[in-house]
Amino acid sequence: MALSFVVVGLAGTRMRRLEWGGWVAVAFSAAAMVVGVLIGIGEMVNPGTYTDVRYTWLHLAPAPGAFPNGFSLVVGTLVDPISALMLIVVTVVGFLVMLYSIGYMHQDRGLPRYYAELSLFLAAMSGLVLADNLLEFFVFWELVGVCSYFLIGFYYEKPSAASAAKEAFIVTRVGDIMFLLGIFLFFYNYATVGPVGSGGWAANGFLFTNGNAPYLGAALGTGNQTLLTVAGIMILGGAAGKSAQFPLHVWLPDAMEGPTTVSALIHAATMVAAGVYLLAVTSLFLGFTSTDQLAIVAIGGFTAFFAATMAVVHPDIKRVIAYSTISQLGYMVMAVGAGFAMVGLFHLFTHAFFKALLFLAAGSVIHAVGTQDLFKMGGLKKTMRLTAAAFAIGGLALAGIPPFAGFWSKDDILSAVYSQLGTHPDYWPFFLLAFVAVFLTAYYIFRAWFLAFSGDHPRDPTLPHAHEGPWVMRVPLVVLSALAVGAGLLIFVPGFQSLLLSGNGAAGIPPMYGTTDLLLSSASVALGAGGIALAWVLWGNGRVFVLSESSAAQPVRRLLLDRYYFKVGYDWVGAKGVYTVARAADFFDRFVIDGTVHGFERAFAYGSDRLRRIQSGVVSDYAAYVVAGLIALFVLLLIVAPYLVAKIGGG
Amino acid sequence: MSIEELAFLALAVVALVTAVAALLVRELVHTILWIGVFFVDLSAIYFLLEAPFLGVLQLGVYAGAVTVLLLFGIMVTRKRIFSREAATGIGAVPFALAAVTFIFAVAAVGELPQTSQPVRAYDPTLLSENLFGTNGPWLLLLGLIMMAAVAGSIYLVREGRE
Amino acid sequence: MTDLPIVGFVGLSTALLAVGLFGILTRRNFILILIAIEIAMNATILNFVYFGAFSGGAGGLSGQAIAVVLIGFAATEVAVGLAIVLALNRLKGTINVAQATDLKL
Repeated sequence: MALSFVVVGLAGTRMRRLEWGGWVAVAFSAAAMVVGVLIGIGEMVNPGTYTDVRYTWLHLAPAPGAFPNGFSLVVGTLVDPISALMLIVVTVVGFLVMLYSIGYMHQDRGLPRYYAELSLFLAAMSGLVLADNLLEFFVFWELVGVCSYFLIGFYYEKPSAASAAKEAFIVTRVGDIMFLLGIFLFFYNYATVGPVGSGGWAANGFLFTNGNAPYLGAALGTGNQTLLTVAGIMILGGAAGKSAQFPLHVWLPDAMEGPTTVSALIHAATMVAAGVYLLAVTSLFLGFTSTDQLAIVAIGGFTAFFAATMAVVHPDIKRVIAYSTISQLGYMVMAVGAGFAMVGLFHLFTHAFFKALLFLAAGSVIHAVGTQDLFKMGGLKKTMRLTAAAFAIGGLALAGIPPFAGFWSKDDILSAVYSQLGTHPDYWPFFLLAFVAVFLTAYYIFRAWFLAFSGDHPRDPTLPHAHEGPWVMRVPLVVLSALAVGAGLLIFVPGFQSLLLSGNGAAGIPPMYGTTDLLLSSASVALGAGGIALAWVLWGNGRVFVLSESSAAQPVRRLLLDRYYFKVGYDWVGAKGVYTVARAADFFDRFVIDGTVHGFERAFAYGSDRLRRIQSGVVSDYAAYVVAGLIALFVLLLIVAPYLVAKIGGG
Repeated sequence: MSIEELAFLALAVVALVTAVAALLVRELVHTILWIGVFFVDLSAIYFLLEAPFLGVLQLGVYAGAVTVLLLFGIMVTRKRIFSREAATGIGAVPFALAAVTFIFAVAAVGELPQTSQPVRAYDPTLLSENLFGTNGPWLLLLGLIMMAAVAGSIYLVREGRE
Repeated sequence: MTDLPIVGFVGLSTALLAVGLFGILTRRNFILILIAIEIAMNATILNFVYFGAFSGGAGGLSGQAIAVVLIGFAATEVAVGLAIVLALNRLKGTINVAQATDLKL
């Protein structure tokens, strides 16, 4: 019953092609939001219920070997704690961004396309979240990727935008291939596993759940360990692509070429979260080995630190936030790796809100002053009070200052990883990296705030006079600010708590209120405050901290600005490697394949030319042919036939 | 050898000689002459084989009508007939084909019973009985074909053709 | 009457057939080709006749009867052939078959 609503809400956000499509899209996304929230509340009320509505649309016959019981393809929706959580995020943020877009995108061309693509994206993301089996999940995953390509490249006439879109798609493609490989490996490993008498996972369509438990049940994590580990790494690869973790992180900063609203939706709250969701789903329903987990923690922790370092020096406001996203995703990934999927998802939940808030606030600024360069801005808090406040709230949440949302979730992650340090000492370096990143996080976001908002006047005198945006832009800011504050506090709501608890199965939650954790929390808060303070020192009150040319830190700065030369490296690999392969393929195609075709052609022409000389037109010749044929016939009848008869009869 | 065998041998030789000659001489009218002799020779063979009716028929139809027909044909296409186009060089392939055919047939001949068989006496009543009885259908068919041939030939040679 | 060697007859008709074949395949004058066809046909008729003569019973007379029919056929065919010659002559002005190559590819 609730599920039919889901379907409707989902379907409602399909492509729209109308002039005033903006409001239609908003209406539908509002409906979807209502549905999403309702479902979420439903889950909270009945914690731990998994509702699955499915339809088998293809069942293939058993194939001995890999799929002894056949192979099914299923489409269905699954509502369980994690999907409910994600759904709330997707629909709420989706709605707010839609609303905001009405104001932000007011002058842009191609609006119907924008709203259509945005709606499609929401639909795809909802589908992803609600997928009840691995294949359906992958289908929507791909769909989401395609939509992001569209949206990033929305300003397709800008070459940088077009290439950014391609970059995004190609890099995530690499991840997608790994994902697919991982899927295959999982198929292979678990093909016959499943509840007794069901015929196995493959025969039932690779479902995630069976009743209220993972479909694979007790068999989770069993089977060929090497296979599983590799599969897990592949899944990690896919997630890394979508969530822009190292080393597939390069596309996200460039993806800022798209409209800011797109960045808010896709790169703060939803699509990039798909990677984390994938990891959560895999960890809960498919199984990671401990090697996998180490890898995940490593990548997550490293990325958290790595991205933060780059955010520290960047002059573009959107890109600072983009790096921040990568960094925060690293935290989430790390949490899932440590075995606490729900904690990671909780951070995803809060992060979605405050990151979207930051993006939309930045969008408000960009909309007002027309530039994204922080060094041109300044003193905006005087003219854009709401935005300034919103940004500040987002920043505080990001930095992990209580009572803002980020504090609760980020701290949970740190506690979770910390609790595993005893049994997994190899987590230490990554934990430390993540810990230090807290400092950096606070620093860079407030550097941005100070640069943009503090001081008396803009650094660049040519900037237009700033003012707040229309109400459609302000409302989402306000709502998100509230969420950024309150979302974290939800953890104290019993329903929410049980939601988180149930989603993790028997894995438990990290102890939150023990002494060790209070120490940890205080430490991280201190770090955060320190970061803010440093930012104030360097950038507050209109000050600009300029690193002198001779300073030893300059090369470091340049390194960071150039993003560790990653882009250059990838470009080189792409250009040399791919181009060489392409040229080889072209040569092969032209020479071998076309050569074969031409060869056939010539052979035919030659043959037919020779052959046509039979038709000389001279009757005598034809008569000769007749006689020849007759003779052949005689030979056949009188010699060959009896010979054959003797052979067959006698033999 | 008996006298029949001797006679047959002589007739056979004549038949072959005239046939080859007909094909190889230069002048077209000469071939008609040779062909005429050939037909008569065949007729003699028929008589030898106790088929006098057939022999007479051969004389009348072939030696008579066909020869005249051929002559007419030559007359009408007069302009070119005395040219040297009568023969072409002996092509290797056709000659080989003919030779092969001959050899084949000879080989086939080798499978025939070597002994001689008696020749039956002739009775015209029986022949006509057979002709119109057992082989009646063939006769009818012949009639039809002749009709068609006449019609076709007239059509072929009508004046309107250009 | 008396025995006559079969071999000889078959040999004769075969030889005549070969001659006729030779003529068909090598001659360029259409009338000559017709004559060659006649030679070949006569060879077959001859075949029929003495097989008829050499076999007893019902087959015997059939041979002659068929031979009669065949003579009719042959004559007919000559007539039609001549009609073709006339038509060809009118069309091409020649009876040289090597020049009637309209069907050449």
